[in-house]
Amino acid sequence: MELTQRLEIPVSNQVVWDALNDPLILMQCLPGCQRFEATAENCFEMTVQAKVGPVKAVFKGEVMLTEMDPPRAYRISGQGQGGVAGFAKGGAQVSLVPAGTVAQPATLMTYVVIATVGGKLAQVGGRLINGAARKIAKQFFTEFVRIVCKQEAMDVVIETIQGEG
Amino acid sequence: MYDFNYHKPDTVADAVALFNAAEDAMYLAGGHTLIPAMKQRLRAPTDLIDLSAIQSLGEIQAKDGSLLIGSTVTHSQVAESEVVSAEAPVLAALASGIGDRQVRNRGTIGGSVANSDPAADYPAAVLGLGASIVTDRREIAADDFFQDMFETALADGELITAIRFPTTASAAYAKFPNPASRYATVGVLVAKTAGGVRVAITGAAASVFRATEMEQVLNDNFSVEALAEVRLASDDMNADIHAGAEYRAHLCGVMAARAVASI
Repeated sequence: MELTQRLEIPVSNQVVWDALNDPLILMQCLPGCQRFEATAENCFEMTVQAKVGPVKAVFKGEVMLTEMDPPRAYRISGQGQGGVAGFAKGGAQVSLVPAGTVAQPATLMTYVVIATVGGKLAQVGGRLINGAARKIAKQFFTEFVRIVCKQEAMDVVIETIQGEG
Repeated sequence: MYDFNYHKPDTVADAVALFNAAEDAMYLAGGHTLIPAMKQRLRAPTDLIDLSAIQSLGEIQAKDGSLLIGSTVTHSQVAESEVVSAEAPVLAALASGIGDRQVRNRGTIGGSVANSDPAADYPAAVLGLGASIVTDRREIAADDFFQDMFETALADGELITAIRFPTTASAAYAKFPNPASRYATVGVLVAKTAGGVRVAITGAAASVFRATEMEQVLNDNFSVEALAEVRLASDDMNADIHAGAEYRAHLCGVMAARAVASI
């Protein structure tokens, strides 16, 4: 599945870029993330407890930041093994464009999310993968915007450009 | 097989106490979602709390203009209940179209509402009729209950004891079922209520939702023709191997029209 969304963040391009590269912030944005540790440059190990409806599984895996083009774009991708549940793989190509003025900086962030699952998860959850990936992307980027803007209850408007698959 | 503790309490208070004392408990009603998930090892609770021995959860009562359906009442019991057919016939019709006979004989209204599967039928009735969800600690209006995919206002360990529906004869449910599972590809419940027309759609998005654009035109002119002006946006609609987002958005209009025509 592939999902393209866009949102505007009222802080400068550099602030958004720095946050995108901060493991502590990434960990807070990922729902159910219990561990997120750097193992090498732009490589991290993570443990995530995913709970979607009747399914609850702990995934262990790694996250990599690649295609670095600071402060404009990168790809964040992760994959995890959930034991007997199967595996999940997902990521996002993120790009940033300055959108504000010097006095009122803003950043237009566009991301393309891709997600796939395999094993038992794919057998029983096939019809729900798109919804689950959408939900996780929404939670991730909403939390991300709230953290970079330092506003806990901020309303985050996400515009869907394309979402099929 | 892995080990878990099995409990079968006979009161709501005992069930909740057992839940709170366990490490990772799940309530078991009909088990039609939970047991398959456990068989696949996609869920491994330490404790299962079987609700089937709690008599009060299995009752259907009509009183004070409302219909109270206990949370462990099965779909087939709702479909065949004379009380339900008299007080809110749309519920009996909806329940008779859920899954297959095996599902209807085991699956429960409380389980369906608590699980809040994006394609389940009951959430459309609960939201469309403006019902409320009665739990062991409070009563939650349907408008506040369904939040996102598989996400409800229920707190950890909170147990649904009943659903309180307003009695009504002016409501209809139309769904386009998946031919294999009978889950709603799109299901629309339309109801004329004291507070105006309500339209609730299931199967189309991450969670059941009210189609406010449809409600507005139907409040002015309750007819299939009026409804034809409304086109729902496909942006947030589900897309899977069975139906794309555009198709689902279109089906919302078709199913809503069928429901309106049959009221």
